[in-house]
Amino acid sequence: MLHFLWKRRRSKLNRMDGFQKLLTLLLSVLAVFMLLPIVYIFNHAFKPYHELFVYPPTFFVREPSFQNVNELLAVTSRSTVPMIRYLFNSVFVSTLAVILVTGISALCAYPLSKHRFPGAGFVFAAILLTLMFAPEVVQIPRYLVVSELGIMNTYFAHLLPLIAMPIGVFLLKQFMDQIPDSLLEAARIDGASEFTVFLRIAVPVCMPAIATVAILAFQNAWGNVETSSLFMFDEEMKTFSFFLSTLTSNLANNVAMQGAAAAAALIMFVPNLVVFVILQGKVIATMAHSGIK
Amino acid sequence: MASISIQHLYKRYGKEKQPVVSDFHLDIEDKEFLVFVGPSGCGKSTTLRMIAGLEDISEGEVYIGSQLVNHLPPKDRDIAMVFQNYALYPNMSVYENIAFGLRLRKQPRHEIDLAVRRAARVLEIEPYLNRKPKELSGGQRQRVALGRAIVRNPSVFLMDEPLSNLDAKLRVQMRMELIHLHKTLGATFIYVTHDQIEAMTMADRIVVMKDGVIQQIGTPEAVYMTPSNRFVASFIGSPGINFIEGKITDGPDGRLHFTTNRFSLPVAKDTAEMLKRHNKVDRRVTLGVRPEHVGPEGLYSESVFTAVFKVSELMGADRFLHLDIGQDRLLVARVDAHYRCEENERLRIVIDMSKALFFEPDSGERLA
Repeated sequence: MLHFLWKRRRSKLNRMDGFQKLLTLLLSVLAVFMLLPIVYIFNHAFKPYHELFVYPPTFFVREPSFQNVNELLAVTSRSTVPMIRYLFNSVFVSTLAVILVTGISALCAYPLSKHRFPGAGFVFAAILLTLMFAPEVVQIPRYLVVSELGIMNTYFAHLLPLIAMPIGVFLLKQFMDQIPDSLLEAARIDGASEFTVFLRIAVPVCMPAIATVAILAFQNAWGNVETSSLFMFDEEMKTFSFFLSTLTSNLANNVAMQGAAAAAALIMFVPNLVVFVILQGKVIATMAHSGIK
Repeated sequence: MASISIQHLYKRYGKEKQPVVSDFHLDIEDKEFLVFVGPSGCGKSTTLRMIAGLEDISEGEVYIGSQLVNHLPPKDRDIAMVFQNYALYPNMSVYENIAFGLRLRKQPRHEIDLAVRRAARVLEIEPYLNRKPKELSGGQRQRVALGRAIVRNPSVFLMDEPLSNLDAKLRVQMRMELIHLHKTLGATFIYVTHDQIEAMTMADRIVVMKDGVIQQIGTPEAVYMTPSNRFVASFIGSPGINFIEGKITDGPDGRLHFTTNRFSLPVAKDTAEMLKRHNKVDRRVTLGVRPEHVGPEGLYSESVFTAVFKVSELMGADRFLHLDIGQDRLLVARVDAHYRCEENERLRIVIDMSKALFFEPDSGERLA
């Protein structure tokens, strides 16, 4: 095996030049650096209390234990609403948000990319403009809108602020621009209605971009505490991320509950990782040009 | 099956005054193989796309059969189209690509299966039915695109440069297959190409276009032998026709002569009368002569002049000689492959003046 690798490296075609070697080295260092927090989260969650407070802090866990998870379970069992309810809310809202965000973004991007209509440029410019606003800026107007609509304390209030995702529209529009028009025209001649062209041709071809948008939408919805803290009165309407944030919010100089917080951080992080790992293959896979010479 | 009638068709984009297609008027017979040919940007694809319903018609009318289709969506026009880049659906297998149109028309499953397999057999793509388009070679993709078109059994096939992405050998083969397909299917074919060889070999009639205007409509023979103007003459034929600027004069022998600074060639009898009719004696004209009507002395008795041999291209059976006839003008002659001569050798050259064409020097129209 090593011999084979060595031979491969020796082949002139595959040999890296100095600049490529330097780049590989730099990027490897950067990749390891980016990986550190993730490794830390995993290790931290399994550290027993005496390790959590070791000075200087250690990176890797020495005596892994489930102590923190047990503590978290103990805390949640004392809460007024069972943890499973928070979890249900989170999963329900995140799933719906992913479906709605990808659907709406694609439906919005398709005409912007493939149809000419008056005001298309203006609409797209307006969508891009909204990318410039920090979320904090729109919190108050958003509260007013949700409150005026009378959807406070409902799932609609969880979803509404999430489903318009300008970055999703932007990504999908850019991707759809690459689809050759002849592909859509062929489908129209084959007898497809405009919606069939969208659903059977444009969407499947855009799967990589849709997967990317889905990842973003999921992360956005899963980690979102804003809607729970602003729009929900009842505890049973709030999400898991909100619940965990209440566990960990006042812990700055506190020893108690640090273990539960570490376990909670891991639980919040794992779904993000899973969704990313499942969808990342799609992101790299099929390009629009694969059926076209 | 259907004839097509195109009545004074115009296409303008936005507020541009110059139309992309201008006064396109043509009747296409049922089961005809019609080829639009012209340089890129001449409006041939745009015209095809207007017939397909993929572009709006600015002015004029298109009838398929007896039905006015100006405002009919593509799917209701009973047409199929093959695109230059094949436009296969990358997310579907070959089978699904071919079946897609039939599925949308809600045909029964067993009929679809039968039709797809029959088309695949005709085009010899049966082994690839389960593959994705990206796993196929260019020629195979082309066949799938054709399969997708023929499976619906439309009355009109529209083809937009379908062979231009194939390599030379495959192109020749597919050309023959398309001719065969046209005969078997008995449908009307409209074929767009910039390749005059494709036009010559496949067409029943050729439509030569330039700058959105039809230059000539005719059979391949007519377009080649009696082009309507200089553009058609130069566009059709490879190597291109030779043009020589000169003047018609009364010769000492009482016949009309085509005269340049270097030589004077007697004009054939019929042509002479035609030139007199056009009042061209002592006027400037452009002589057009195909390379196969130029050759070394001995072929034709009269009309001999000298030229300096420069370069030769061997094409297998033929050899093209590039001859310097003075004033930096080159004349191309098609001769036998065995013909040999030295570089810069002075050759005695003859032109078959009975096949010579004469054009107006300014407008480029052929004198007839």
